[in-house]
Amino acid sequence: MSEQTPYEPRIVAFLCKWCSSAGSDLAGVSRIQYPANATPITVACSGGVSPQYILSALRKGADGVLVSGCHIGDCHYMEGNMHARRKLYLVKELLEFAGVEPERFRMSWVSAAEGAKFAQVVRDFVEDLRPLGPQDKLNAERP
Amino acid sequence: MSSKKRTGVFVCHCGNNIAATVDVAKVARVMATEDSVVYSEDYVYMCSDPGQKAVIEAIKKNQLDSVVVTCCSPNLHEKTFRDNAQAAGLNGFTCEIANIREQCAWVHKDRNVATAKAIKISRSAVRRASRNQALEPIGIGVTRRVLVIGGGIAGIQAALDLANAGLEVVLVEKQATLGGHMIQLSETFPTLDCSQCILSPKMVEVSRHPKIKLMTYSEVKEVTGYVGNFKVNILKKPTYVDPEACKLCDDCTQVCPVMVPNQYELGLTARRAIHIPFAQAIPASYTLDIDACLGLNPVRCGKCKDVCEAGAIDYDMLPRTVTEEVGAIVVATGFDLYGQDNLGEYGHGKIEDVLDGLQFERLCSASGPTRGKVLRPSDHSEPKDVVFIQCAGSRDPAQHCAYCSKICCMYTAKHASLYKHHVPDGRAWVFYIDIRSGGKGYEEFVQRTMETDETIYLRGRVSRLYQENGKIRVLGTDTLSGQNVEIDADMVVLALAMTPSKGTAEAAKVLKIGRDKDGFLAEAHPKLKPVESVTAGIFLAGTAQGPKDIPETVAQASAAAAKVIGLLSQPRLTHAPTVAKVRAAHCTGCEMCVDACPYDAIHLENGKAVVNAVLCEGCGTCQSTCLRAAIEVKNATLLQMNEMIEAVLGY
Amino acid sequence: MIDLNALRTQAADILETGEVGAVIGWRRGSRGMAAEPVAIVAPEEAASLVWDPTCFHNLALYLVEERKKPAQRQVHGGKPIAIVAKGCDARAVTVLLQENHFGRDDVYVIGVSCEGTGVLDERKLAQVLPGVEPDGAAFDGDNFVFATSEGERRVPAREAMMDRCLECRNAHPKLNNVVFGEETPRDFDAPFAALKRFEQRPAAERWQFWQRQFERCIRCFACRSVCPMCYCDECVVDSINLVVTPETTAAEKADRVRWIERSASRADNIGYHMTRALHLAGRCVDCGECERVCPVNIPLRLLNNKMEREAREAFGYEPGASIDLPALVASFRDDDPGQFIR
Repeated sequence: MSEQTPYEPRIVAFLCKWCSSAGSDLAGVSRIQYPANATPITVACSGGVSPQYILSALRKGADGVLVSGCHIGDCHYMEGNMHARRKLYLVKELLEFAGVEPERFRMSWVSAAEGAKFAQVVRDFVEDLRPLGPQDKLNAERP
Repeated sequence: MSSKKRTGVFVCHCGNNIAATVDVAKVARVMATEDSVVYSEDYVYMCSDPGQKAVIEAIKKNQLDSVVVTCCSPNLHEKTFRDNAQAAGLNGFTCEIANIREQCAWVHKDRNVATAKAIKISRSAVRRASRNQALEPIGIGVTRRVLVIGGGIAGIQAALDLANAGLEVVLVEKQATLGGHMIQLSETFPTLDCSQCILSPKMVEVSRHPKIKLMTYSEVKEVTGYVGNFKVNILKKPTYVDPEACKLCDDCTQVCPVMVPNQYELGLTARRAIHIPFAQAIPASYTLDIDACLGLNPVRCGKCKDVCEAGAIDYDMLPRTVTEEVGAIVVATGFDLYGQDNLGEYGHGKIEDVLDGLQFERLCSASGPTRGKVLRPSDHSEPKDVVFIQCAGSRDPAQHCAYCSKICCMYTAKHASLYKHHVPDGRAWVFYIDIRSGGKGYEEFVQRTMETDETIYLRGRVSRLYQENGKIRVLGTDTLSGQNVEIDADMVVLALAMTPSKGTAEAAKVLKIGRDKDGFLAEAHPKLKPVESVTAGIFLAGTAQGPKDIPETVAQASAAAAKVIGLLSQPRLTHAPTVAKVRAAHCTGCEMCVDACPYDAIHLENGKAVVNAVLCEGCGTCQSTCLRAAIEVKNATLLQMNEMIEAVLGY
Repeated sequence: MIDLNALRTQAADILETGEVGAVIGWRRGSRGMAAEPVAIVAPEEAASLVWDPTCFHNLALYLVEERKKPAQRQVHGGKPIAIVAKGCDARAVTVLLQENHFGRDDVYVIGVSCEGTGVLDERKLAQVLPGVEPDGAAFDGDNFVFATSEGERRVPAREAMMDRCLECRNAHPKLNNVVFGEETPRDFDAPFAALKRFEQRPAAERWQFWQRQFERCIRCFACRSVCPMCYCDECVVDSINLVVTPETTAAEKADRVRWIERSASRADNIGYHMTRALHLAGRCVDCGECERVCPVNIPLRLLNNKMEREAREAFGYEPGASIDLPALVASFRDDDPGQFIR
């Protein structure tokens, strides 16, 4: 038997297809290396990310959730990211209020041209999550 | 439920691009264990001809009803494989791409870790695909008419190109005449041909064109609808003069008692309340400026009406709203100059002999306030020392506009050159940061201005200027010699930054199209879609989209026209079917989605939300806003999102 | 001081004239001194209406119920319904109007001002008057007056008032067709006082607190049932399909998203309460009913208060302030806070 594997944070990353997902493509094309902890789910717009997705991911055992969209003013749908900013601010505040580590939920604006920034966002997130250990507060402790 | 699906998974090696880092065979093996998957294979180049053929064959042979290709970014080959699915008899929307190259193989080194992540990405695509519906693109009829907003050179060019291609055009201009800023220019760089001489024939052509409906002194107030089918409400403001009856005798201006600054001459002269902007104005008619007029009441004044023999003046003219139906819109709302009052160091626009570039154009123009003589506004003397300051408000992220206004280097060179032609014994000084003279004949023109016209170019900024003894003292630095420079100038001309016009801001609001950080209209893609707005059917031309010179503006206007012609040449348009759909039984009619929708695509009918599928762009903002799970985007439903989240977390 | 007779006369009048089909108000209840909600349809029934410190229920709930039962509308002939509403209740009606739950003309608001007091917290009363079970309660200026077997007992209102009332800023119903009582200056706790105190505590302590609270939740859904804003036919936690129409396919029935399990477990309990708080953001008017009815005393107001304060401070949004306001989460401002985004 192998010895116990060290803790690796599991991150669900909701990426806007117009910016952050394209930005992560650019990171790929530029071969910028970053940790593999974040698994992307590409969405049409950060504005389409329901607070329920975040709670659900945490419930299903995510150690961290990232939502990444277009910079303000750059939304492909004009104002989707403005909606995301307001809605997800409430999620962030609520999690923090309940005593869940605020580092567990993160939002970033990454444009299609910011491959390096995308990699850095993931790197920072993983580093910030590592000391916290597994997320067990909202986790329903299933497989 | 999902076991009913027959999904095929095709894992691409991309040569060694993916296979070097990801154990592609393992990904294919693990995907085969998914409930919905009945076929799974890996292949060296899925996008190669044999690879594509293999996909089509496998779909047919295994009666697949959905496909996941795990390969590179969907931006590259989603269309390829959707076409393959279609070729094999499936609906294209049953095909999903899992990106395990850019988002996985290329950014990780550890084979185990990368393979594990590739499995999660692929699995979430498989789960999504297993719930995908077959969707048919939405067909839309087309109105073969075009609205052009703005009657400057961009709008004029676009309107003419469109009309000459046989499309009906409605050209709306806010001012009383066509022409925009170009008609105010004296000569144009680098050829120094007269601006009015090249533009006015085009203005006349517009006014005479049987396919163009010209609406001056009009504003677009409301736009509803969508590509191919816009409905536009245009407010036609009253000019109080019937252009058909007006004989252009000018009797009215002789009797009008009111004088106000003439905005066409940028305040360098005055005009009457009733006026014609300039002799070649199109339409050739007078306009009564109601803000300046003493009042449309014969008791208060009524002099113009009394004197008009043609009976062209009608005080009872009312604003009219005209509704036009068009299939596409070209926005050419142009620029304004950055306000001089923002520039404290250059006198806040309060020193009379500090002019902006457009004012200087008027001074040089043969039809201008000084009949083409360069004279100081303050004392009508001929200035002997003129300082031109480039980048006034441009390239100054700390205080003003961060961007380069692009045309100032060239028109400053032109101004200096024109000045020297008018005043051969005068001295012209130009303060500049860099000279940007890319363009046919541009660099040569600048060189001529420096050498033949003996203009003194000083590389540096002016720190301050102030009035002293009837002169303007200009304090600056010549960074090449490191010397401080003090010039007692008779006149200073600021090459002010170009900013989006007020009309551009209004148009963006009415049309609900985005603007960039500087307020210029945002193009759909900075490189590949430079004349399209983000909204289908709305195109951009000229300086409303960003600073540019006349040839570029004309090129963009023609490009926008070409795009419109292409669009409207189709008998029917199609719209992506991945749009929101209401679950009526769950909807309570709270209208949150209606308020949240960026496209006004949702309205209430009998207390339930209804989506206009043609307006919906599928962003999902409604889906994340609805508290009752009553609205979802097709093929990105809550159920699909939930299952993708589960897949990523190893459920 | 509210003249109860005037209120009764008003109710009788609008029933008499047919201006409304029913009046939802309070009457003497069967559980001790507490009032209970009642809907009256005949003018003579107006005499049974009461207004006293035990009128804690947010009657807007019954407007919602009314709408859900179209058959019931026959009873009052599709006429508008009147509701006796405190400041918080009137705000709830405003939110329901914002959400098109009914039209402004469908509801007749008989506002009652809590003036300088509020409604009674029975738990506090048990501490202030231990062992006493009063037969009735009444307002008297700054005091509550209780009728007991040993005569009248007078208690300063602030000692026995609901926490929510101590922090109330809307004691006078803004939305009304007619209003009884004065708009009186109030000087109790600062808004969000308890919330601010709680927020001072370190994160680990906050988590321990909520963990303890949510472990207790038995998922009886009383909070949901009593809330006028929880009017969805199908709640996010319902793992069975409640909304089924002839068009509902078998696949749809089978494929309901199970974001949260219905049964009680810590993770699902917190998931439920967080979802509820988020769904109430910008809609909760802090009537405090969820907290009052919770059988295990979970301080639910704290969660909702948190959202309410964020709405106010971060977005300048006041729930129930105006009918014309778009929902908090369906709107945005250009200067919404974004410093948390990287």
